[in-house]
Amino acid sequence: MQRIPQQLIPLIIMIVAIIGSLITARTLLVPDSFGDLGHYRADNTGEVAALELSYAGAHVCADCHDDISETKRDSHHSGVACESCHGPALAHTEAPDEFIPDAPRGRDGCLLCHGYNPARPSGFPQILPGQHNPTKACLICHAPHDPQLPHTAEDCSACHREISNRKQVSHHSSVACTECHKATDEHRASPRIVRAEKPRKAEVCGNCHARGADSSREIPRIDMDTHGGRYICWDCHYPHFPETNL
Amino acid sequence: METVIANIASAIPGTTGYIYPNEFELHWSLLIVIYPYLTGLVAGAFILASLERVFKVHEITPVYRLSLVTALAFLIVAPMPLLAHLGHPERNYEMFLTPNTSSAMAMFGFVYAWYLLGVLLLELWLDYRRDIVKWSNEKTGIARYFYKFSTLGATDISPKAIEFDEKASRFITIVGVPSAFLLHGYVGFIFGSVKANPWWSSVLMPIVFLFSAIVSGIALMILVYMISTMFRWKKMDMACLNKLASFLLYAMLVDFTLEALDFIHRLYESEESITILSEMISNRLFISLIVAQIILGSLAPLVGIIMAKMGKVPDEMKRMLYFISALLVQVGIFSTRWNVVIGGQLFSKSLRGLTVYKLELFGLEGLFMAITLLIAPVIILYILVKLFPPWMDKPELDVAAAKEAVAPAKETE
Repeated sequence: MQRIPQQLIPLIIMIVAIIGSLITARTLLVPDSFGDLGHYRADNTGEVAALELSYAGAHVCADCHDDISETKRDSHHSGVACESCHGPALAHTEAPDEFIPDAPRGRDGCLLCHGYNPARPSGFPQILPGQHNPTKACLICHAPHDPQLPHTAEDCSACHREISNRKQVSHHSSVACTECHKATDEHRASPRIVRAEKPRKAEVCGNCHARGADSSREIPRIDMDTHGGRYICWDCHYPHFPETNL
Repeated sequence: METVIANIASAIPGTTGYIYPNEFELHWSLLIVIYPYLTGLVAGAFILASLERVFKVHEITPVYRLSLVTALAFLIVAPMPLLAHLGHPERNYEMFLTPNTSSAMAMFGFVYAWYLLGVLLLELWLDYRRDIVKWSNEKTGIARYFYKFSTLGATDISPKAIEFDEKASRFITIVGVPSAFLLHGYVGFIFGSVKANPWWSSVLMPIVFLFSAIVSGIALMILVYMISTMFRWKKMDMACLNKLASFLLYAMLVDFTLEALDFIHRLYESEESITILSEMISNRLFISLIVAQIILGSLAPLVGIIMAKMGKVPDEMKRMLYFISALLVQVGIFSTRWNVVIGGQLFSKSLRGLTVYKLELFGLEGLFMAITLLIAPVIILYILVKLFPPWMDKPELDVAAAKEAVAPAKETE
C-alpha cells in the first residue's frame, strides 16, 4: 500500500479540526429555534411577547376619559395614541389614584413630530422652533386633543416647510407659491378638505420662460413648441428647485 | 430673511437639484473604497504568481514568491475596512455559524476563508516547506521553535516529498486562479447586482473589477519588486521587469476596453439615468474620473509603458518609466474604486439631484483610519518577508556579493 505523504497528515488534521470546530461551534452557539421561522431566532418573538407590559392602549383610556377620546377622534390628532404624550399608563388603569400619568406642558413633546425635518411629508405642519413663539408653550395656542390653528396660516411654509426651504435657495425664490398654485382661503382653513390646485399645463411655466413672455430678461427662455417634445416641464425640471444653472 | 436663507443653505451645502432626505449623507464611506482596492491587489498579485506556476512564464520567477507573500499581507488586511465600517468586529464569527445563503454580502466570510486557508496559505506553506524545514534546523533560539512549529511536523524533504509539494502546489494554483477570480469578481458582483442603482447595476461589473484587479496587482508587484530590490542592494532583473510591464500593458488594454465598452453601452442605451450620471461625471467626479482614473491612471501609464517597450530606451529610463507608470496605475485603480463606491451614492434615486461626500478626518471611517489600513499591509509584508524571505534572485544579479568578491581580491593584490 502506498504511504500517505507526510505533509498531508497535518493538513488533514487541520481540515478536520476546522470543520469539527465549526460544527461544534454551531451546535453550542446557534440557538435551537434559529431558522424555524426565518433567518433569526424564533424564540425571540415569544420572549418579547412575555416582557412586562407598561402601555395600556388608547381603547382602555377611552373607557374612563370618553369625553376627551371623542374630541380627539375627530381631530387632526386622531391617529396619535394617548400614551405617546402621556407616557406608559398601564399602572394608571390598574390603580387610577396611585399612579397619575404625566401631562406634559413643555414644547419638547410636540416638536418630536412638528419640529422641522426634511424627511417629513409635504403638508405636515412643521415649525422652526427658534422662530415660532420660542418662549411660549404650545398648548397656550393649540389644544392638544383637538389642535387647531389659532388663525389661518399666513404662509404656505406653515405646512409645506420642506418645499418652502428648497424654493428659498433656488432660482425660484422670488416666485410666490400662488404664481403657479391656486391656494384658496378654504384650503388654508381646511387643507385636507379643500386641496390647493397644481398647474396642469406647461403654459404656466411659459408665462416666464416662453420666448415672448413678458418677464425679466435674465430668466432662461425656451421655445414652448419644440422644447422637451411630448414631456411636460416638471417631468424633467423640479419646479421648487430648478436645476439649470443658466 | 437673508439669515434664514443662509441657514437653510448651510443645512444642505453642496447639494444641487432635488435629493431625497435620506440621501444627504453617504452610507458607504472611504473604507468601502479601500475594501475592493485591497481585495483587487490580492487577486491581481495571486493571478500574477499563477502565470509563473501554471502558465510557465519563467521570466517572472523572481516575483513568484514575493507575489504570494504580498497577496497574503494584503489579504490579512482586506476584511478590516469592513469590520471597522460595520462597527461590531466581535460579531464577525456569526456569519460562519448562521450562513445566509441568500445574501451575497453574508457569504463573503466563506469566500474569504476559502481563499485564505484553502488557497493562499496552503500554497505558500507547500512552496516554503523545504526552506522552513531547512531554517528550523539552521536557526537558533526562538526562531528555531517558530520554524519548527511552521513545519507542522512535516519534516520530510526527500526528493519524492518535494516533488509531491510541487505537484500539489501547482494543483492549488490551478484551483486558485478561479478562486482569485471568484474573490474579486464577487466584489464586483455585489455592486453589479444592486439593481436600483444605475451607476452600479451592470453585468459587466464583475469582469471590469476582475481586470482592474489584475492591473492593480501587477502594478503593485512592479512597485514592490523594484523597491525591495533597491533596498536589498541587488540588481534588477530586466527580463522580469519587462515581462511584468508587458503583462501590465495587456491587462490595462483589456481593462480600459471593457470600461470603455461599459461606458459606451450606457451612453447608447441612454436610460433615464443618463442625464444625472453625465452631470455627475462632468461635475462631481471630474477630478477623480476624468483626470485621476482616465488621464493619469490609464492613458498616462499606457503611454509610459508603450514608450518604454517600443522605443530604444536605456534600462535606467525603462525602470523609471515602469515605476512611474505602476505608481500612476495605483492612483488610477484607487480612483476607479472611489468612483464606483462614492459615485454610486452621489446622485439621488429621484435622478434629479446630486449630493456631496464629506470625508471625516478622525473616527472609525475617517481619513486616518483609511491611511492606517493602507499602511498596515506594507508593515505586514515587511514582517512576512523578514520571516519568510521570498527572494529568488539569479546569482549574477547579486551586487553586494559581487562587491564582496571584488574586495578580498583587491586586498590580496
